[in-house]
Amino acid sequence: MAVHEALAAIIGWPPIWQVLIIGFIGSLVVSIFAVWFERKAAARVQRRLGPYWASPRLGGLLHLIADLARYAFQYPIIPRRVDVVPFLAAPIAGLIIALLPLAVIPFTSNPSYWPLPPAAMEYSLLIALAIATLPPIFIIAAGWASNNPFAVIGGVREAFIIVAYELIAILGFLGAAAAVGSFNLVEIVAAQEGFKWLILLNPIAFLAVFIAIVMSTSAFPFEIPESEAEVVAGPFTEYSGILYALNMGGAYMRRFVLAILTVLAFLGGWQPLTPGEGLLWGYILPSIVVVAKAVVIVLAISFLRAVYGRYRLDQALDMAWKILLPLALAGIALGLIEASIGVV
Amino acid sequence: MAPRVGLRSLEKRRTLIDGVRSNIHVLMLGVKYFVNPRRMTLVYPREYPKLSEGYRGFIILKKEKCISCAACARICPSAAMKMIRVQEPDPKHPGKAKMKQYPVINYQRCIFCGYCVDVCPTEALYHVNYHDIVYDNLADMFWDLETFQREPEYKTAAEGRPVRIVIHEELGLVKVPVEDKA
Amino acid sequence: MSGEVRVYGGWRDDLGLRVIPSKRIGKDVYEVFIGPQHPGSGHMRIIIRVDGDVIVEADPDIGYVHRTMEKLGEIRGWIKPIPLFERMAIHDACNITLPYVRAVEKLMGVEAPLRAKYLRVLLCEINRIASHLYGFAIFSIFLGHSTMYMWAMGDREVFIQLAEELTGARLTHSYPIPGGVRRDIPQGFPDMARRAVRYMRKRLEEYRKMFLENPVIRSRLEGVGVIPKNLAAELGLVGPNARGSGIAYDVRIIEPYEVYDELDFEVPVYTEGDALARTYVRVEEIAQSLRIIEQVVDWLEKKPREPIVDESIYKKYPPLHKKILESQGRAKLLPWMATMKVPAGAAIGRGETGRGEIIYYVESDGGVNPYRVRIVTPSARNVIAFKYALPGHRVMDLPAIYGSLDYFPPEADR
Repeated sequence: MAVHEALAAIIGWPPIWQVLIIGFIGSLVVSIFAVWFERKAAARVQRRLGPYWASPRLGGLLHLIADLARYAFQYPIIPRRVDVVPFLAAPIAGLIIALLPLAVIPFTSNPSYWPLPPAAMEYSLLIALAIATLPPIFIIAAGWASNNPFAVIGGVREAFIIVAYELIAILGFLGAAAAVGSFNLVEIVAAQEGFKWLILLNPIAFLAVFIAIVMSTSAFPFEIPESEAEVVAGPFTEYSGILYALNMGGAYMRRFVLAILTVLAFLGGWQPLTPGEGLLWGYILPSIVVVAKAVVIVLAISFLRAVYGRYRLDQALDMAWKILLPLALAGIALGLIEASIGVV
Repeated sequence: MAPRVGLRSLEKRRTLIDGVRSNIHVLMLGVKYFVNPRRMTLVYPREYPKLSEGYRGFIILKKEKCISCAACARICPSAAMKMIRVQEPDPKHPGKAKMKQYPVINYQRCIFCGYCVDVCPTEALYHVNYHDIVYDNLADMFWDLETFQREPEYKTAAEGRPVRIVIHEELGLVKVPVEDKA
Repeated sequence: MSGEVRVYGGWRDDLGLRVIPSKRIGKDVYEVFIGPQHPGSGHMRIIIRVDGDVIVEADPDIGYVHRTMEKLGEIRGWIKPIPLFERMAIHDACNITLPYVRAVEKLMGVEAPLRAKYLRVLLCEINRIASHLYGFAIFSIFLGHSTMYMWAMGDREVFIQLAEELTGARLTHSYPIPGGVRRDIPQGFPDMARRAVRYMRKRLEEYRKMFLENPVIRSRLEGVGVIPKNLAAELGLVGPNARGSGIAYDVRIIEPYEVYDELDFEVPVYTEGDALARTYVRVEEIAQSLRIIEQVVDWLEKKPREPIVDESIYKKYPPLHKKILESQGRAKLLPWMATMKVPAGAAIGRGETGRGEIIYYVESDGGVNPYRVRIVTPSARNVIAFKYALPGHRVMDLPAIYGSLDYFPPEADR
């Protein structure tokens, strides 16, 4: 077997393909687009022009490419007092692990393109959630390794927020699982056949999950760990160049991955498309539908920047424990009720 | 008719319904502006503001009016204006030269307060209505007597389109294109 | 921690004033230096000591942008310090220089004519709105609300435009001079001002929806940084910060200057003393300033034009100057003003700037320079509030309290 065939076989293997192509390249494109949209939407609300000069005809879309190039070629400064290995490893590991859930998420109902063997697919939602809760650890590590008061405070804030949102996200997704009676993402999507999307049947759980995503990826109004006014850039204060870009892009990639999970659990996945046979109809088109729906969620989160300030840490936690946790539990209850009366 | 104290107090802690309502207000207002942005941005230098005639821009000397009284140099708060002595033909005694004093200006120091223009007893100094001129080096900002008499070239006008900024009742500031490029 | 009692928030009743020693660092207290090179500090350093997430001590470390305003004011005659003193708070230029001009007027024995007084009040109120909007913008970005930041900055541009039409400069107007003002209103100014007033009224409604009643912002501000009335009085706070704590203190009421006693407006006072009350005071003040602008503009339009400098100065005008004043509305300066001598004596000028009361003590020994110009700026009096408002709050409340106090370091450091 020639080398290129071997390479093609490795890349073509669904988990690798999904992490590398949909995950890395897809989320890079999506996050560039989301950042551009975030700036442009905020600019419209704020009566400004937003990104413009880099490419006036495209509405400044190339501005982000220019930003990326600048980050890529900027000299990354590693301060003398940092703990070098975790300082370097944290952003890279955080990014890779943020994308790992894609290795278990199915993008089609056609079993030949599932990333996991059918038996393991039974637990795909649980596995994906378990991996999706890992990356914040690396943010805390980045803050701790930076050896800077602002970074430490930012890391501690991230830790507080993880504890709050993780439970809500998982319980919210359990609302979907409870309604369908399965942890299999394919079955959850299949149960939403005919526009019985769970966002309509179980909006409470969706709301909890949506806010948990906003919280976990520190978007407004929960941009607390990186709150510029007190802690500069939070855990990323000491980072520069491409490492900083990895950290900041990591949040958008995580948002994208969690949005994909939300699309499968609440927004009907690849529906209204029914995956058929063959690579195009069986895999590529359904995954495009899923990604497109996920982009809508990412953009909706981006829009929040234009209208909200940021909550205080204790208020965010207050909201998480006092409002969202009961909401997520109510979502599970609603899911169970719907399952028992047979709506789903 | 006199000023008076108006004692007020804040609304008390609101209910959950109020919170939901104000959240919806905020989002609706955001969407309203997102759909209809009502931009205020001036795309400088593609558009540049045509400032009013009274604008305190660069200061130019009309040498023939100057009576060498040095009031401008004395009143300059930042000591940007200085008097220099130049030799020039004496109109009363043809063929002879006399020393005369004229102001020159250092635009590194000038703060555009316009005191010199206002203090000049013969109106020999005047403002032009632009100020956005960039110099390659600091030395160019010392204006000698020759430069001080010429209005500086307004390079922005060559590139951009002049607009007049008008206060509008609904939109705040609106840009009205000006036809003449003078 | 050596077994000492820490008092978080609140304050001791027995003495009235809580004493906060500045050196008391326990082992579990984390010291954070915020500023001066920090996105949320402005030109100052705030040294905070945090126990967990709670600030136990705060020290505002001022002086980073000290520019020796008082000393510079002693070496450049009587009229040249006006552009200098403007640099303390350039967005509030007329308010901040007017008391100096009035103090010099007292020493010189001249008085601005009525029309000049109205013009001064007009620019003062335009400046007050611009200054409040500027503070509002900084406050919003501290809270992460970038839209309000851009809105306030953009709407401030309207009033800067007004000031530019009136004075010829966007920020450093150098408008009042001893004995009058430098320019009369240009053609079409009253209508322009009325349009701006109507526009701003509409915008204030949108501000209310977008910012003041935004649930996120409200929860950030309600009950945060409370300065009770007696503490505010004891610390000597001025301006909107005092009025937010229920102290009805405004120089425009206590000692009306120029024509403020002929105008119909309210000075809003809120009793809560928290960050939200201080914010509401500023918003209400913008609304009241709009009312003042309307009245002043009506007056200026109705009354015939008259000289805008004092009679004693106008008498000395050569015909050319009189012609320029009539045709262009531009009051010329006279050459002797550069090196004029002011009779010996001392005078005090008070005024209400956007941030509170400003006091100038001007002393003359009869020479060409002021013997002494003492300036007490409002921010210099408000900075002490940091030390008492911050402890007991969380680190994330720091920007909320900082922004609500509208502290402006270049003005305080002078």
